[in-house]
Parts: sequence; C-alpha cells; structure tokens
Amino acid sequence: MLTFQSVILGVLLGGLYALLAAGLTLYFGVMRVVMIAHSAFLILAAYLAWYFHRETGIDPLVSLVGTVPLFFVLGVAMQRLLISRLRAATLTMMSVLLTFAIALLIEGLLGYVFSGTQRRTQLSYSGTSLDFFGARVAVVKLIAFGLAAAALLGLYVLLKASRFGLALRATIQHREAAQLAGIDTNRVAGYGFGLGLATAAIGGTALALDTTIYPSLHWHWIGPLMAIIVVGGLGSVPGAAIAAMLLGLTQSLLQLPLGTTWAQTVFYVALFATLAFRPQGFFGGRLAQRF
Amino acid sequence: MPSVSSLLRLSVVVAGAALALSFPMLAPNPYILSAGVVVASYAVLSTSWNFVGGFTGYISLGHGAYVGLGAYGTGLLIIKAGLPSFAALLLSAALVAALAVPIGIASLRVRGASFVIVSISLVLILLLIFQSWASFTGGSNGLVVPRPFPGLRRPDHHLVFFYLFCALLAVALLSWWVIDRSRFGMGLKAIREDEDKAQSLGTPTFAFKLLAFVASATFTALGGGLYALWFGDLDPVFQFSILTGAYMVLMALLGGVRHLFGPLLGALVVGSALEYFKVEYGSTQLHLVATGLLLAAVVLFMPDGVIPALSDVYNRLFRPRATSIREATAAELRSQEEVRG
Repeated sequence: MLTFQSVILGVLLGGLYALLAAGLTLYFGVMRVVMIAHSAFLILAAYLAWYFHRETGIDPLVSLVGTVPLFFVLGVAMQRLLISRLRAATLTMMSVLLTFAIALLIEGLLGYVFSGTQRRTQLSYSGTSLDFFGARVAVVKLIAFGLAAAALLGLYVLLKASRFGLALRATIQHREAAQLAGIDTNRVAGYGFGLGLATAAIGGTALALDTTIYPSLHWHWIGPLMAIIVVGGLGSVPGAAIAAMLLGLTQSLLQLPLGTTWAQTVFYVALFATLAFRPQGFFGGRLAQRF
Repeated sequence: MPSVSSLLRLSVVVAGAALALSFPMLAPNPYILSAGVVVASYAVLSTSWNFVGGFTGYISLGHGAYVGLGAYGTGLLIIKAGLPSFAALLLSAALVAALAVPIGIASLRVRGASFVIVSISLVLILLLIFQSWASFTGGSNGLVVPRPFPGLRRPDHHLVFFYLFCALLAVALLSWWVIDRSRFGMGLKAIREDEDKAQSLGTPTFAFKLLAFVASATFTALGGGLYALWFGDLDPVFQFSILTGAYMVLMALLGGVRHLFGPLLGALVVGSALEYFKVEYGSTQLHLVATGLLLAAVVLFMPDGVIPALSDVYNRLFRPRATSIREATAAELRSQEEVRG
C-alpha cells in the first residue's frame, strides 16, 4: 500500500518536474542556453505567491494572474537585452555564467528582502487529503499537479497547433532555415524565453502551495532539472517530460528504503549513466553532444 | 640580450612577489593577516581552475568539488588513518587526482553546456553524500581537523600558512607558465580555439584535456587541503559549495583567463571585496548580490578580463601605431625594426 502511495506521489512530483524541464528545454532549444536561473525564478515565483497570500489573504493561485505575464515579459527582456548581447562563439559557456549570475542575484535579493527564514503558505485546505484507492493524497499536491498538467497541455497545444508554435519549432530545429522561410527568429527566440520563464511562474505557484520555501532552495531543484534535460536529450520536450516522470517516480519509490537525501542521488546517477552510455540522451535529442 | 619589455615584466613580477612576501610585516593586525591567507588561498584556487578553464576553454562551475574533496581527504586521513598533516595533504591530493581521471573521462566526452551541467551536479551530489554520511564525515556537525603546528600562537599560525599558500601559488603559476610555453600547452590552446580542427590536425585532444583536467583538480585539492589544515573546521555546506566554484570562475575571468597572472589579479580584487563584504554586511545575503552583479558585468562587458581590456586602453593611448590601419610606410616600419633590434 505504501508503495502505491509512493507511485501516486511520484507521478504528482513528476508532473511538476516535467513542466519545469519543458521550460529549460525551450531555452535550450531556441538559444542553446542552459538556464541555471530557471529554478531561482521558480523560487522567486513561490515567494511572490506566498507574499501575495500573506498580504491579501487571497488564495495564492490568484497570484498567477500577475506572475505569469510578468515572468513572460521578464523572459523576453532577458533574451533581448542580455543573452543576445553575448558573442556567438562562446554563447553556450558565457550564457551559463550569465544565468548563474542572475540566479545568485535572485537568491541574494530574496535573502535580503525576506530574510533566510523558512516560509510556508498556510491555507484552509492545507491539511486536507483525499482517499484515492487507499492512498492518501494531499489536495494541495493534486492542485499542483493539475496546474502543471494544464500548463504542459497548453504549451503542447501552443507548440503543435498554432502558427507561432510552428515558427518556434522551426527555430529550434534549424535557425538559418527558419530565417530563410521568413521567420523572425530573434523575436521567436525572445517569446520562447518568455514561455520558458512563464513555466517557472506556474511551477513556483504550485510549489508554494505545499512546500516550505527559503532563498537557497533553488539549488535543490536545478540539479535534478538539469539531470532530467540531459537524460531526456537536450532540446527535446517529450524526452524531458518522459525523463521527468520516470525520475520523479524513481525518486519517490526510493524514498521508502533509502530516505529523502539518498533518493535525490538518483538524478545524478541517471545523469552520469546517460553521459557514459548515451551522451545524446535516451529520448530523442540529436543536439546534445555538440552543445 | 633580453628586450626592454621582458625586463620590465620580470621586474614587475619580482616587485609583486616582494610585496606579497612582505605583506605579513605590513599587516596591522592578525585579522588582516588572516584575510590575506584567505585571499592567497583564492589565488591558488583560481590559478588551479585556469589549468582547465584558461587553456581548454572548458568552463567548470564545479571546482568546489575538488576543494571539498581535498579538504575532507586531508582531514579524514589525519583523523581516521593517523597520518602526519602534510603527508595527509599530499596523499589526499593524489587520491583526488586518481578520482579526477574517471570524472574527467565521463565529463570531457561532452562539450559546452553538458560539461557545465556535469560539473555543477558533481558538487551537488558530493554535498548530499558528505551531509548524509554523517558517521564518516561528521555531517553537518562539521569535522575538526587537528592543527599541524599545535605549539604556534594564532598570528604565527596565520603567518606560516600565508607563506605556505604563497609557495603553493608559486608552484601552480610556474607549472602554468611551463605548460603555456610547451607543445602540450599549444595543443590545449588549439582545443580552446577549435577542438574539431585540432583533432583533425592530429592533436590527441582527449588525452590532453584529461591531463589538464587532472592537473587542475590536483592543484585545487592541494589548495583545499591546505585550507583545511589552516582553518581546522570543515562543514559540507561550505566545502562543497557552488559558490566556491563560482568565485574561481569569476576571479579567473575578471583577471583574464589567457594570462598567467590573470586569476591571481582577479583573486586579489574579488577576494579582498568578499572579505570586505563579510566585515561590513556580515550574514546578510548582499555578498551574493554583489557577486552576481560583478559576474554578470564581467560576462557582458569584458569576457576576456581586465588585463586585455586595460592593455587595449594602453595601446590606444600610448602606442597609436598598433592600430590596424598603418600610418607608416613599409620602409619606415623596416627602419624602425632595425633601430629596435
């Protein structure tokens, strides 16, 4: 029974990982940028949701109305004003450093403004849980999963069914060819960045519902997320989603025999195994090795 | 006969070394001296980082891992195996070198982004292990490393370790200089400029990268181990910190990764600034903000570092002939060459 409970929790966690990894994949796809600050923005969004709830008493989910557009604009601005200024020859390395600097900046400012104290959102339904075939699942975790799943579905539809999605996928596949086909790849890349950061806003709000947050929490997220996108094959959204589900599930199952800390190592084991045996990733992703 | 510029360079180096060695005499109090030890240790670390970052262009954000391994290796060998302090330091560095071989083989197979991801992951995984395995490493309670010279008073302890760090720095700089002028260094720099071309011209790129990587890890471990002997108290959160790795990258980039003294210069600037922030703002997170801003500024505005930026300015102001459009005729140039030679 406990195992079944772990499976449920693993799937719920995997959903959140999948959404966030999809964001990371978008940045990598459009710009070949590994965005270290992704999880820092995640924590920033969680803090904004928590702060919004504390100040107004309204459900933190409502903060999405503000954070999603804000993060989208921030993402576009970041790509247009910062990332695109870097030299093309050293873009990959330097963008890692630049986004790392942004992560430090966010962590430092969060620590300065909100102090290092651990924060938790207290909601009327925080303690409620549902009975699901004998497994007890907290309502907040279900909401978080629902949010992640809806966002991921929306992203999928946007990428597959809209003209913009077509342009974005073309930019990811082959930048020059997309330009020849008349796509303004710079603008598309900017929007891709905005979308990626918007996933961090949604993920952060979901995170704020049931997790204790503190400024340096983002380091616990960036490692697993980067492992997921490497295992999934850098640049492949479905690959990232599958890897996220599998690794989230494995982590959740290993928590029973090994404990929380050791279970986290599964991400790094998977990362090193991928690099040793299949550096291009296990699910799709032709891009990985060269970038 | 050595030229004027090389004489000038030599005298600057000698003057810098003399200034560094006389720093303990100039330091007004033991606190400043201990800050000097910290800055010297940063100089060792960023110079060690530059064996990989500068020569091959592979930017590792995870060199904090080798600092931690060197420090914990030294401490654990003293405590668990009863080795004398400096034997433990050397053995620990040798162990880290051995460990760096498989890590290098795994991570140098991939370039760019994947390499950085692996280097960060390594720090995160080691932090998890050293925190969780409390029975062996002391976990979050820390590990107290016995002092190598129990009889020394604290200021003298700082003094001895300042010179030890300077000696290690000198060895690291000398090794970098020798590699820089060797065929091996030429191969490494070819990898930095264009790895595929270097490989097709017959450079054994993988072996070269691995060798540079192991050398870098070893020097970093020596720096970490020496720090453990000096500071005497290890905590996984500080030893296996992404920040340490970020500081090394920042220092090296700020000074200029293509220059022998670039990382040292960066360490002087960033290290002193960090110590100043520690005093002024204590436990607030402002040092993170400052580090982030500085790193972003360096990456955006002078990715080649201070040394090339300054020499550009110098050339523009004092040596206008170095511009690309020649104002002198070929004959004039030739006569100038004769005068100079």
